[in-house]
Amino acid sequence: MSGTTPTDTTDDDPPHDCPDCDRRFHRESYLALHRGQAHGDELTDGERAAYEAAREEEEEELRMFRLQALAALVFIYFGFLLVYAFSL
Amino acid sequence: MRHARLRTAGASLLLGSLTLALAGRTAAHGGSLRSEPARSLAIPLWLFLSTGGGAVGVSFLLTSFVTDRDFIRSVNDRRRTLGLPAGLRRGLTVAARLVGLVGLGAVLVVGMLGPADPLRNLAVLVVWVGWWAGYTMTTYLVGNSWPALNPWRVALDLRQRLPAPDITYPDRLASWPAVLGLLGFVWLEVVSPLADDPRLLASVVAAYTVVTVAGAYALGSVWFERVDPVARVFAAYGAVAPLYRDEDGSLGVRVPGTGLEDAGLVRGRSDVAFVVALLWVTTYDGLVATPPWRAFARAVVGIGVPPALLYPLALLAGFGLFLALYRIAIRRGRRSAESYRDPETLARRFAPSLLAIAAGYHVAHYLGYFIELSPALLGALTAPLAPGAPVAVVLPTWFSAVSLGFVLLGHLGAIWVAHAVAYDLFPSRMQAVRSQYALTAVMVFYTMTSLWIVSRPYAAPPFV
Repeated sequence: MSGTTPTDTTDDDPPHDCPDCDRRFHRESYLALHRGQAHGDELTDGERAAYEAAREEEEEELRMFRLQALAALVFIYFGFLLVYAFSL
Repeated sequence: MRHARLRTAGASLLLGSLTLALAGRTAAHGGSLRSEPARSLAIPLWLFLSTGGGAVGVSFLLTSFVTDRDFIRSVNDRRRTLGLPAGLRRGLTVAARLVGLVGLGAVLVVGMLGPADPLRNLAVLVVWVGWWAGYTMTTYLVGNSWPALNPWRVALDLRQRLPAPDITYPDRLASWPAVLGLLGFVWLEVVSPLADDPRLLASVVAAYTVVTVAGAYALGSVWFERVDPVARVFAAYGAVAPLYRDEDGSLGVRVPGTGLEDAGLVRGRSDVAFVVALLWVTTYDGLVATPPWRAFARAVVGIGVPPALLYPLALLAGFGLFLALYRIAIRRGRRSAESYRDPETLARRFAPSLLAIAAGYHVAHYLGYFIELSPALLGALTAPLAPGAPVAVVLPTWFSAVSLGFVLLGHLGAIWVAHAVAYDLFPSRMQAVRSQYALTAVMVFYTMTSLWIVSRPYAAPPFV
């Protein structure tokens, strides 16, 4: 995780505007991802590098999330198993 | 090996416990056409509720493991056009319209003149068993054929042949008339013996016919798109179905549920309200047939609230609560996803996922009811004015597990649709995951509320 909590941003943050459409984003990495996905043919070399970097960062976050989700699944599964074992 | 056995044990416990309480569900629906079975819970209520909520939460976690954008898109894109010959299509349309008109005529005539016993009266059986239970199931399991079947659409043909009034539908009304109409119908169903009294049913159908024909004649097809709650319910359910009509009108097949990901399905605030209302009325219908409601109603009437106001007020208050919860969940999801997207857009895009849940609950409530009473329906169809004694199918006990399966399937579908929509809306996949936290919490809350209602014994609504 990159340390920023997702809830502490508001609409007052300086937005990152997409030059090719009317979308705007809270983080530079979101803009980079958006440009890679929606305007993939018009990317400059710098933007392509930013897109790759943002994807890597996203993968890293996803890997972390998957671990947490797996932990939650195991916790819920065995939690219920134990609760059922003792309450029936 | 050991692990596999543990898993099977866990899964069967979970399914078994949910099944037990769902067994009594159908009794509260379709009026009082059947006697209520006994309800009993083998596990403590808190455990029952948290298991249901847990199942929804777990489905969210499992779905979030699917992170391949191309795969998610490919599920939606897997569509095929069915080339149906024009002659066959025209023939089917004419046949469907005839069936609709004959059905409407039969309901009106037999409702007025047929036997007074609801289980032997064709009108009651056609409307509740054939149409509201059986036909509605085809709209989300197969496709929305209501525009072809709808007998009241003859008003549109009349409009083309006769001089029609030049009235344009005010845009700012949007779909609000349909929302009010849906709530109104459910209120009527709850407070009046619509499923018991064939004469009353026929009068209501006649009144609906007058209003619908006049409205459609005056306003044209916009009547069925914006005002008529019945056509709107079927259109909404039809979005779940595998068969669909694309823009140029030709038939197509898609993966069931993926139609809910289409951006143009819900067009504005009023359409969002309609979807939420569809989900709320299912809950309301069950809620008013529980002992806690009975106690609450007695207390409220005891302090001087007129009984006639109690039901509409509760209907509106609960609807407002559901709508507010949905909007709060959307706003919170938007904040956790760090998005600049307009909350209105998000509310519109995520609302259709709720239709999968509504369809799941509809099957759970009505499949057993439909199978049990279909012999009675057949009997009445063969001898409309003098049917024999009604026959009912007795369902095996495992059948409630099938119903439960549909409820879970509906929730799974909803979570998948919301997942796919979030991937479509947000550039970062972590945004997509985070946007779902609040909505999943609301779904867990909704499941637990529904399970709490189904685990209450049946108590006829008081003061009606």
